[in-house]
Amino acid sequence: MEVKKPAVAGTLESSDAQVMIEPGDGKIDLSLQSSVMNQYGRQIKATILETLARLEVTSAKLTVVDKGALDCTLKARVECAVFRSCDASDANIPWGGAVR
Amino acid sequence: MADTLSTISPRETRAQRQVDALLEREGIRRDAHIDYTCGIFDDDWRLIATGSCYKNTIRCLAVSGEHQGEGLLNRVVSHLTQVQFERGNSHVFLYTKPKSARFFGDLGFSEIARVEGRVVFMENRRGGFAAYLRALERAPQDGCAAVVMNANPFTLGHRRLVETAAARHPFVHLFLLSEEAGPIPFAVRRRLVQEGIAGLDNVLLHDSGPYIISSATFPSYFLKGEDDAIRAHAALDIAVFAQIAAALGITTRFVGDEPTSRVTALYNEVMARDLPAHGVDCIIIPRLAVNGRTVSASTVRQAIHDGAPDSVADMLPESTRRYFASAEAKPVVRAIRAMDDPKHY
Repeated sequence: MEVKKPAVAGTLESSDAQVMIEPGDGKIDLSLQSSVMNQYGRQIKATILETLARLEVTSAKLTVVDKGALDCTLKARVECAVFRSCDASDANIPWGGAVR
Repeated sequence: MADTLSTISPRETRAQRQVDALLEREGIRRDAHIDYTCGIFDDDWRLIATGSCYKNTIRCLAVSGEHQGEGLLNRVVSHLTQVQFERGNSHVFLYTKPKSARFFGDLGFSEIARVEGRVVFMENRRGGFAAYLRALERAPQDGCAAVVMNANPFTLGHRRLVETAAARHPFVHLFLLSEEAGPIPFAVRRRLVQEGIAGLDNVLLHDSGPYIISSATFPSYFLKGEDDAIRAHAALDIAVFAQIAAALGITTRFVGDEPTSRVTALYNEVMARDLPAHGVDCIIIPRLAVNGRTVSASTVRQAIHDGAPDSVADMLPESTRRYFASAEAKPVVRAIRAMDDPKHY
């Protein structure tokens, strides 16, 4: 999927994460801030990158502010931000396909 | 918990009064420039948190003292960030009191500049300002001069200012306000500056971007404000500029003196006071006069407005004169003629 415009998903509330995505310059540029960085930073980063890979996003600038979100929440927020950024949210979301 | 986050329209006088009261209790002055406000209300519909937007900025944030530590600020900032993205602004700026700045650090904002004891200016991306500084074209040596102009439109007065700076310094960084703020489009202003400074080989032209006299740093340049607010905005703008100066080896800023525009005069006053403290000299050059009249872009706009462009022909370089006589300029001239007040306040 191609990121066409800036989009945001999620909130800054506890147990959530705010994912901001913008068109990139050919690579994934991730800026991550987390309240549990020391404990889970690596896992959060892996989850975000995996989700992007599954959605076939290869070029994007991401800013994630994590407030202790579970993996499933992170995945959902990243997916939602990507779909919003390519106007997929009013077309067909690939339930059972890339989203599983 | 049944707190409700809700938009507060300017017409909801009762809620707006609650916003005023909450801001006052938390020691925050309500900004005159606001185009969106939201609040969180408790069960009895009392306002317990609020925040506002103006263009691409977030401001006037407050949480009621007895509800601090409940994560209300996070909800307000999340909501306002979504509002900004809906407006198409992914680069968001925020003002806060110095003692609150660390809370916003936890919400993904990083500091750009501060005016000690008054305000901290932040943005929602890490290293955004650093990246802007890195992207600015550097001169081969330090000891440069800087000029900031709107050039609305470019006159012989602007030319004189740049020439003076270029004669005294090895290089001049010329920042052109890139915000669209009047009938003359930025692309045209930029082209007229380029043509106007032709022959001055030691001038580097930059777009000012969001960090110099933009509606984020200096809203009262674009909208009427009280003197106090203008001074506060100017101090912040200059604190940001001081960092740009440090990055580019700028030692002196040249400005034209300002006999007519109140806001620019106040800005110059604050600049003359604050810049030397940041290690940058501020040199105020008297305005150029031709045939006994002071050259000013607002006089030029007034003349175009009055349908008498020839009366200011002696204030303009050939390139600007040619543009206003061209077919391309017709819609712009029409827009200037339709303005109520072509002069800046």
